[in-house]
Amino acid sequence: MGKDGFSKCHPAVNFLFFVGAIVFGVLFQHPAYLLAGLLCAGAYYLLLCGQKALKSMAMMLPLFLIIAAINPLFNTRGEHILFHLFGRPYTQEALGYGFAVGSILVITLLWFGCYNRVMTEDKFTALFGNLMPALSLLLVMVFRLIPALLYKSKQITDARRCIGKSGENLTFRQKISSGMTVLLALAGWSLESGILTADSMRCRGYGTARRTNFQVYRLHLSDWVLLAALALTAAVTVCGAAVGATEAAYVPVFTAAPVSVFLPVYCIFLLIPTIIHIKEVVLCRIFISKI
Amino acid sequence: MPHIHIQDLTFAYPGANAPALQDINLTIKQGEYIAICGKSGSGKTTLLRHLKSVLTPHGERTGQILLGDTPLAQVPPIEQACKIGYVMQNPAEQIVTDKVWHELAFGLESVGCDRETMRSRVGEMACYFGIGDWFHKDVATLSGGQQQLLNLASVMAMQPDVLILDEPTSQLDPLAASDFLNTVRKINLELGTTVIITEHRLEDILPAVDRVVVMERGRIIEEDLPKNAAGHLWERQDPMFAAMPTSAQVFYRSSGKGESPLTVREGRTWLENTLPTALKCTQLPNSETGEKTPAALQLKDIWFRYERNSQDVLRGAELAVSGRTIHAIVGGNGAGKSTLLKAVCGSARPYRGAVSIFGKKVSHYKGNSLFANCLAMLPQDPKSLFVKDSVSEDMQEVCQDENRLKEVAVLCQIDALLDRHPYDLSGGEQQRVALAKVLLTDPKLLLLDEPTKGMDCFFKEAFAEILCKLKEQGITVVIVSHDVEFCAKYADFVSMVFDGQVLTTQTPRQFFGGNSFYTTAANRMSRSFFQNAVTPDDVVALFRENSEGM
Amino acid sequence: MKKSTVFTLLSVFVLIPGALFLGRFLPGRGFYLTSTLVILFVLLPFFLAFEDRRPQARELVLIAVLCALAVASRAAFVWLPHFKPLFGVIILSGIVCGAQGGFLVGAVSAFASNFLFGQGPWTPWQMLAYGICGLVAGACYHKKDRLPKDPLSLGLFGFVAVLFTVCPILDTSTVLTSLTVFTPASVFGIYAAAIPTNLIQAGCTLVTLLVLSKPLLYKLARITQKYGLYQ
Repeated sequence: MGKDGFSKCHPAVNFLFFVGAIVFGVLFQHPAYLLAGLLCAGAYYLLLCGQKALKSMAMMLPLFLIIAAINPLFNTRGEHILFHLFGRPYTQEALGYGFAVGSILVITLLWFGCYNRVMTEDKFTALFGNLMPALSLLLVMVFRLIPALLYKSKQITDARRCIGKSGENLTFRQKISSGMTVLLALAGWSLESGILTADSMRCRGYGTARRTNFQVYRLHLSDWVLLAALALTAAVTVCGAAVGATEAAYVPVFTAAPVSVFLPVYCIFLLIPTIIHIKEVVLCRIFISKI
Repeated sequence: MPHIHIQDLTFAYPGANAPALQDINLTIKQGEYIAICGKSGSGKTTLLRHLKSVLTPHGERTGQILLGDTPLAQVPPIEQACKIGYVMQNPAEQIVTDKVWHELAFGLESVGCDRETMRSRVGEMACYFGIGDWFHKDVATLSGGQQQLLNLASVMAMQPDVLILDEPTSQLDPLAASDFLNTVRKINLELGTTVIITEHRLEDILPAVDRVVVMERGRIIEEDLPKNAAGHLWERQDPMFAAMPTSAQVFYRSSGKGESPLTVREGRTWLENTLPTALKCTQLPNSETGEKTPAALQLKDIWFRYERNSQDVLRGAELAVSGRTIHAIVGGNGAGKSTLLKAVCGSARPYRGAVSIFGKKVSHYKGNSLFANCLAMLPQDPKSLFVKDSVSEDMQEVCQDENRLKEVAVLCQIDALLDRHPYDLSGGEQQRVALAKVLLTDPKLLLLDEPTKGMDCFFKEAFAEILCKLKEQGITVVIVSHDVEFCAKYADFVSMVFDGQVLTTQTPRQFFGGNSFYTTAANRMSRSFFQNAVTPDDVVALFRENSEGM
Repeated sequence: MKKSTVFTLLSVFVLIPGALFLGRFLPGRGFYLTSTLVILFVLLPFFLAFEDRRPQARELVLIAVLCALAVASRAAFVWLPHFKPLFGVIILSGIVCGAQGGFLVGAVSAFASNFLFGQGPWTPWQMLAYGICGLVAGACYHKKDRLPKDPLSLGLFGFVAVLFTVCPILDTSTVLTSLTVFTPASVFGIYAAAIPTNLIQAGCTLVTLLVLSKPLLYKLARITQKYGLYQ
């Protein structure tokens, strides 16, 4: 399976989209916008992660319900009283607000779920490598070292097992001390091999000049088009927010701005990755059928 | 035009009694391919490090090094970084970044190369080294050989005039090593880059180099064409002679006349021309199998796969290792050798079949009892056993009995190293310290995973000596190794693993005598004359027998 | 003036008050954004200071190894699920590398480990919390001989540092994301509910420092001496 269409775009496009989607998602309380956010984020997340997405969405559902259900316990304002709990009114408006807050959290989590899949660490460092060369190099080195250290740690555990120093079948205390020994060995090993890494960096001229950075990602025409589309739809949405089209109040009385032309524009903004994903899949089918 | 000029270089590490380098004079011409050899500790690495200012160790120094006409110290760092490429021993530890493409670009980024140039250079290098397929991969997913090739490529991306290689293939398996050395040769021939290399595997590089420099105790004792070098060493009975290619060793030890052969082909031609047409004796006696000892280790129909839906790695492997022997298991990459070891020590559980150790099934050993005075394994990387800050503390972690500790230290020839920090030791010393630590568990069956990796021939000899002593003490030793020369010389039995199965188990003479590719250089050179000569000693013995009375 | 100094001043006197002020006009759950922005403005001066220093290869490698070690330290305890030596490693890093280095190790290891376990709205909060953990350790112990560095007092220091700096910051992030109405009861409820897990975290740090501080500080001293760093 290849990468999804949106992931193939320039990291700047990816990053700006997610910043926009999450900021809008947090700010808009209007139920229509919340629903739009939930559906668009959910759809893209499902397309990206498939089965795994369903699993984590199933985890988010109880979270959503709990937040919604708890809110009226603390917030008793509202006109329509559903019932009394511990002598306090449990109102419909407060429940509604609970659902809104729950939706905002779920939308954020869903977009972050997509973000984690799309914005891999190399994209992140490619994007910020120019702004903070030392820090992004540090990050790249950490990503290089983490798998190496995990592997070393496994080697150490295996090696120690074969000289009768396994951590199995021990008391809690012994398990802790055996783990500490492994950690100590790991620290010693990785610190000592760091000396070689530093030598290798200096051999290749680290510190002799101001670092430039190699870009594997280039801004193509299609990226510019996408950026323009994102900017346009985002700008319209911001205008909508400025004129109050996204506003809603839940307690004590539910009021919401009427649904206007800004909602479909917001949906288009949110659906851009999904559209690209589907376009890519369809195009792929067509091209493959020609072979 | 001299390119690098080392004049009267003498250097001593701070606090050391003897200088590490003494009166070194060496002139290297543009485009030369030079091999520096010598025992470990003879100053090879120290010398190489002097050719790059950022790596030059601290200490007292006299003499100077000229690059072109300028003293090296006055060449600006950025120019040194670009002009002098340096590749070290350990493939993984030289890699700085997490992606292959980023690693290729690292040097260029550091010297502030602009994006367009960088892009074309990186692309160029990826093509030249055949890295295109793994350009976008994580470096963690590469094999050791690929990692080292990547290190070479990322140095070459800076277009150096000089390439310095410090034992670049010592951590690689033979296939990857010869791949790497061929690439180095190609760079030297096609790009005219000067190459200075130190290597254990003289067999592979000596025929290709222009000049050999032999070092001993910080001095250059020999500097000549490769075809003469072995002769000089032979004349002065220098121990370094043992590191020379097999054909040269056989040639001089059988008192050959004329020009020394260096490759298997030349050695064979020489044998053909010198041996009488009618051979008196073409076979050595097959070593006696001795009385049958009970099996120390037995594998019956082992099937194993790493994940439920993956492919079988072991497919009905059968093996019997008789007690008190040195048993070598050989085979190509991915044949299942290491998995076989894992199955024995229980870190891989076969889904079918049984492993028995001293007649008792592994699953019947409860808790850690399998590893208490019974089975122990020396891991591939000795560093995975080091925990403490001195060798003796590290050994005490396993066994507190002072006498036993001394005994093992003497056996492993590390009694002089007990107060040192394990990470200050050389690779061969580290391997012996790790062995000592493993031996302190008093195993009766000892498994060794690639024990000779990174050792020069002297360390190997010392290591083999230890193994033979262990065998005398009644310990069964199982070695998994790529090193056919070592197995041929010291093993009692050799098993070949291929495609998840153990194909044959024979004595080295039967085994390597019967193979034509997967065998020792000595056998490849002599196989059309002698039937089962597998070590230089064998060839020399048979040669003498046949040329007597000539 | 250095870039980082300029930015620190800018951040303290303009950006953070500005974000707090403008945040009040944001609709909906605007305080998510405001708090995230404020944290970013706190983090950035540290990062820029690191850029300004133009760290040499050895320092960069040392910090990278410590970050990776903090992230990977869990793997050493295959036999003990739920045991997290992470903060112990960060505190020891702070002691060796100083306040700034400790902050960096903490923040970067939080950020890097979230690439493995998933970024979320909690990422900036974790970076801040872990960073401060390293910072406090560095500020108290780096190059100072006044405070005792024996395992017991270091362990207690770690226990207190984790319980009273790291955990409250992380709990605040939970409060902001999951509460709908901020009443004293609801806020207190969240903090109270987190106490048992926080105690476990602090306990792990205590144990890690008790056992590990002496030998690991020795190893680190050997390395910094070899590197010629932080002398």
